[in-house]
Amino acid sequence: MVETLQNLALGFSIALTPGVLFYAFAGCVVGTLVGVLPGIGPLAGISLLLPATFGLDATRAIVMLAGIYYGAMYGGSTTSILMRIPGEAASVMTCIDGYAMARKGRAGAALAIAAVGSYVAGTVSVVALMVLAPPLASFALRFGPPEYFALLVLGLLVLAYMSGGSMLKALAMAALGLLGGMIGIDQMSGYFRFAYGVVELGDGIGVVPVAVGLFGLAEILATAGLATPPSVIKPKLRELLPSRREWSASAWPIGRGTVLGFLIGIIPGSAHIIASFVSYAVERRLSAHPEEFGRGAVAGVAGPESANNSATSGAFVPMLALGVPSGPIPAVMLAAMMVHGVSPGPLLIKQQPELFWGFIASMYVGNVVLLVLNLPLVGVFVNLLRVPYPVLYPSIVVFCILGVYAVNGSVVDVWIMLVMGALGYVLRKLDFETAPIVLGVILAPMIEMALRQSLAMSDGHYGILVTRPIAGALLAVGAVLVLLGLRPLVTRSLDWRAKLALAGTKEERL
Amino acid sequence: MLVAFAALAGSVWGQEPYPSRPITIVVPFPPGGIADLTARPLASALERALRQPVVVSNKAGAAGAVGMQSVAIAKADGYTLMVAVVSISTLPEVDALFGRAPAYRRDQFVGIARLNADPPVLVVGTEWRWRTLKELVEEARKRPGEITYASSGLYGASHVPMEMLLHAAGIRMRHLPTTGGGPATTAVLGGHAALWASPPAIALPHLKSGKLRALATWGESRVAALPDVPTLKELGYDLEYYLWAGLFAPKNLPAGVFKTLRAAARQAVGDADFRAAMARVEMPIAYQDADEFKAWWDKDALILAGVIKRIGKVAEK
Repeated sequence: MVETLQNLALGFSIALTPGVLFYAFAGCVVGTLVGVLPGIGPLAGISLLLPATFGLDATRAIVMLAGIYYGAMYGGSTTSILMRIPGEAASVMTCIDGYAMARKGRAGAALAIAAVGSYVAGTVSVVALMVLAPPLASFALRFGPPEYFALLVLGLLVLAYMSGGSMLKALAMAALGLLGGMIGIDQMSGYFRFAYGVVELGDGIGVVPVAVGLFGLAEILATAGLATPPSVIKPKLRELLPSRREWSASAWPIGRGTVLGFLIGIIPGSAHIIASFVSYAVERRLSAHPEEFGRGAVAGVAGPESANNSATSGAFVPMLALGVPSGPIPAVMLAAMMVHGVSPGPLLIKQQPELFWGFIASMYVGNVVLLVLNLPLVGVFVNLLRVPYPVLYPSIVVFCILGVYAVNGSVVDVWIMLVMGALGYVLRKLDFETAPIVLGVILAPMIEMALRQSLAMSDGHYGILVTRPIAGALLAVGAVLVLLGLRPLVTRSLDWRAKLALAGTKEERL
Repeated sequence: MLVAFAALAGSVWGQEPYPSRPITIVVPFPPGGIADLTARPLASALERALRQPVVVSNKAGAAGAVGMQSVAIAKADGYTLMVAVVSISTLPEVDALFGRAPAYRRDQFVGIARLNADPPVLVVGTEWRWRTLKELVEEARKRPGEITYASSGLYGASHVPMEMLLHAAGIRMRHLPTTGGGPATTAVLGGHAALWASPPAIALPHLKSGKLRALATWGESRVAALPDVPTLKELGYDLEYYLWAGLFAPKNLPAGVFKTLRAAARQAVGDADFRAAMARVEMPIAYQDADEFKAWWDKDALILAGVIKRIGKVAEK
């Protein structure tokens, strides 16, 4: 412990030198700007800006990339809350209740809670990263395809908590999403599926164009289609900060989201994406007022946003302790290290203590910088909502197209977004919720790959999914959850969903 | 704006000396991969040789097919170049295997230079008892189809060399395809697969820390960083396979442009900064000029095409 503190002191002595601090700050600012641009999230931001760091020394480059990364995460929640446009898969959940809060005039509160939740999660998970990295990393390695499959099945159960309305409709949308997620090259056989000769569809339909279309564009189309346009929200200055009630409703979700996110984040693969989904489901399950979710429940912002941020720190555990990438973003960071001749791996902490501890310390610094940077900006961002719709909406559409195009330079992605926008509009008119589609598109390729990899490992025997202890335990948890869900059928008691239907309350659409 | 104007001027007068405006190098993969890490220092070195800006543009998608297709149909004026890796030879063969219209054909490109080449290294997790390739092969003979190897992807750059080895040794193993070099390493480190054909740069830190053990390499001679690891040739398998990167252009380049680019590539590869950058990412420079490269590439591609055909459609086995 003393050693850790000494090392941390070393880290801060590096992170607080003016040169390094400058790059941490610059990274945060650039990241925030990139994140605020609709359609561009942390992964796209960090990939686009990676080459800009090649000229720096290793520590500065890593510190700046981490800043861009965190900054883009913060910025992404801004567009999710204000305009219902997610910059990445993980902020999809923030769109739902964050935007609903904004419609109720609580945009400032939602932004502030997202920022504080991210700050708490970021800081706490860095402490966990620092103390627990080596033991946790070897545990994380035991997550092979079967364990991953079991975890994702749990993720699929989250679907049940994503909608407040008809379960049948929600499942239909999820099935549509799962089907959409099948598009692309089958990684296990090499066949093209549903691509109709379009090479660009080889990697499937991207989550970001789908989410931006279904959420952002559909919202704009729906608003434009109203006979009487809604009045422009004019937030008052004193309403910018969350109320005491909102703070207390956020405290536990932030705490739970932090722990949950970190644990899910350390698992190699892209598990961090589902952290925010799982957190949303947990909060709704535990909430005394599940019916508020989807209509601006503050816990629906606080939980997922915290989970999201701590999952990303969690994802650094395998990267720093073992030198294996646990997702696309750590993979880019590893490449950045290699460019600077730092060979990432189990010996990194010993061989490059300045880099490792400088990086850790700069994550503390970055979180503080972002909080200081973003809280005053809440007022500025919220004022965007004062812009009249005829000006605001066309500009948002333009920025969405630019953002989605910029990520891969692909016109096909822009078309996907536009088609999804039209689809989302139609579905809204028919009273379908679109969030389950996005979850389906995200989960389908991951679940399928994990299942088929498991079967490749076992030569086709399904037993591998239950005989391995972690996988078996996770599936057992899933089975218990399903049984709990079925209990009302047997005992004839009513769950929240049924109570909702009985009360005749019509859920506001997501 | 300037670029657009220069392009217009070029098309009107047509006689501009090459190069008179910025050049783009397309990398058909996301930033941070081997092709990208080769292309960026190359671009800086080419800038110094050609005295024009050289810009790297990542055009990723469908395992590289999207970017390669875009270059295949680009104008052959020397302003669109590409850094591609070994998969440029195998993707059309995979398309052919499935009876698809190929995204591009190999003969739509002309190679300007091979830049680097690195033989993969066969690594096993240290919890397995095999200390030599011989022990591994013997066990695989006793338990056909039971030992699992990972790869960075089906028909990918680490699947092909494994198939070559299994075929030469007459053994069968289970194949666990993953989605890249990182996930494949993770699968072996976590014990979910026993081995894989890894690029040396990825394997080195884990070899040093004792989590992985190297049994053989696919090169003609031993890997400099792994002097104790024998080549497959030394072990009696007549196999060679390299992970390489080359600089390409659309075919039918004007002769003068082609000559300029060849000279510039030669100069760039000798550039001290480029050499230092390659050394940092542990990619050994293995320069070949256009003619030598063409002969070598044709031969290599022919072998790889045979391997892809032999693997066949996995789903139908």
